[in-house]
Amino acid sequence: MVLAIRAENLKIGYLDEEEEQVVWATRGVDLNVEEGESFCLVGESGCGKSTLASAIAGILPPHALTMGKLYIFDQLVIDDSKRNYNGIRGKIVGLIPQNPGTSLNPFLTIEDHFYYVLKDSKNMNKSESRKIAHEYLLKVGLNKDVLEKYPHELSGGMQQRVLIAIALASNVKIVVADEPTSSIDANLRAQILNLVNSLVKEFKVTLFIVTHDLASAGKICDKIAVMYAGRIVEMGPTSIITNKPRHPYTKMLFESIPILGWKRALNPLPGEPPNVIEEITWCSFRERCPLKIEICNKEPPLMLTDENLHFTRCWRFKEVS
Amino acid sequence: MNSGVEVIKLRNVTAGYKTTLGFKSIFKHYQVVLRNINLSITRGEKVAIIGESGSGKSTLLKVIIGLLKPIKGDVLIYDKQIYKLPWRERVKIIRKIGYVPQDPYKALNPLLKIRQILAEPLEASGLDDKTIEQRVREVVRFVGLQREILDATPDELSGGMRQRVLIARALIADPEILILDEPTSALDVSIQAQIINLLNDIYNKLGTTMITVTHDLAVAQYLADRAIILKEGTIVDEGSFDQILSNPRSEYTRKLILSYYVTTFKTVE
Repeated sequence: MVLAIRAENLKIGYLDEEEEQVVWATRGVDLNVEEGESFCLVGESGCGKSTLASAIAGILPPHALTMGKLYIFDQLVIDDSKRNYNGIRGKIVGLIPQNPGTSLNPFLTIEDHFYYVLKDSKNMNKSESRKIAHEYLLKVGLNKDVLEKYPHELSGGMQQRVLIAIALASNVKIVVADEPTSSIDANLRAQILNLVNSLVKEFKVTLFIVTHDLASAGKICDKIAVMYAGRIVEMGPTSIITNKPRHPYTKMLFESIPILGWKRALNPLPGEPPNVIEEITWCSFRERCPLKIEICNKEPPLMLTDENLHFTRCWRFKEVS
Repeated sequence: MNSGVEVIKLRNVTAGYKTTLGFKSIFKHYQVVLRNINLSITRGEKVAIIGESGSGKSTLLKVIIGLLKPIKGDVLIYDKQIYKLPWRERVKIIRKIGYVPQDPYKALNPLLKIRQILAEPLEASGLDDKTIEQRVREVVRFVGLQREILDATPDELSGGMRQRVLIARALIADPEILILDEPTSALDVSIQAQIINLLNDIYNKLGTTMITVTHDLAVAQYLADRAIILKEGTIVDEGSFDQILSNPRSEYTRKLILSYYVTTFKTVE
């Protein structure tokens, strides 16, 4: 078993210059992703999931502050404040960005997009890159006419397919997908996610997908981690997390998803995620939790709850399901 | 609540936008978006208009709220042909419609306090300050917000709170019809569920006619009893949700429904 991504107590924050304090977007993340696995990070806006994805893809802004350690295939890329992505960024880790419309250069044809990526990562010339581009465009269900086109001539779904093809074309070992379906209509999400998943399986790539859409995450991933207020609160195999969540937050998320053809009552808990600016020493879900008791004034550790490698950060996990 | 009175009726409506490119603009030249739409919505109904991006959902809304004169056809709101009325008369009718725009992050004026944002529609109707303040507080409580937010500006609020403010603004002038343009698409799942529950609460308490425009069938099923499915500017399917789900009339609807079952996992109960 080879670990593709390993994070140890990883903290990433940004300096708030007005208030002269650090706002921690992730507050101590421990994470293991095996090679060839589809790993899904689920959470709501502001929980730190995109920051974690940027750290893995190597695109953290220079002013971001880091603590802890992050390994990618045993290479130490974040060592407290030192960051070194040489040979990793774009070569081992590829990215499918969030917004296809603004991620492609409007003045370059699709062919040139492929060329610049492949020239950089594999030292290819134009005709070689054209051949590879053609091959990968077919894989994502586009024909070769697309090569001559500019991004604005493609629909949103097609742009997203092009980005998937570009991410895979340079033979990366890990693909980080940051909300790959958030700007796509609900009915196209299925297609795109299934495409990503089947390609990832075909090329034996490790997939790290970040989303707020639990429903589709549950469909395509092997493992799910749920993030809340900068911490992973629950992590484990998909079938176990979806059937028997052990954290009240995960349970609530599932009870909030509208499912077509099954009109059950939606049960969202009141309130919203806490403000991450303040340092939290209690359980971050305490304010919204229906099960809170005295002990919840202390932040629980990430506990192993059963033999299936199912982790939960909740003192009351036995009472949840 | 369905009393059978038609509040909105569209007859053979074809609508689109004028193109002004080239010499063709001398003649009337249109990019047609909606073709031969026939639609009738009765009082107290909950209707969803469903379609992909580019299917003409937003254009249809513009036609209904009196902002886009159709090329052909009649638009009747409360039995009045609104586009044949002078502007003053038209506004009187359109005031009965409350509108919640699409993007809660863009639809609020960042320079105004929430109190001013909510009071604006009432000031136009010439009420005195005391009544306005009373009404503002009432509506804010009704949509589940704290009174303290009245002194905040929009950037201090989260997405869910902004959406509640937009709903409050639409409700403040006591509308008889509530139109929601993608009310939950910018929100997280748990907040989305809160807003869905809030809208159903509003419907149950006030009995307003509710028209939701969305691309998400699963959300639509919570906010409507009847679905109207748009594709490339025409209505391809229409009916109750049960009927649409069990017996879709068009191939497109079938595909749309199928695409959901591919993504949605089954939770074990």
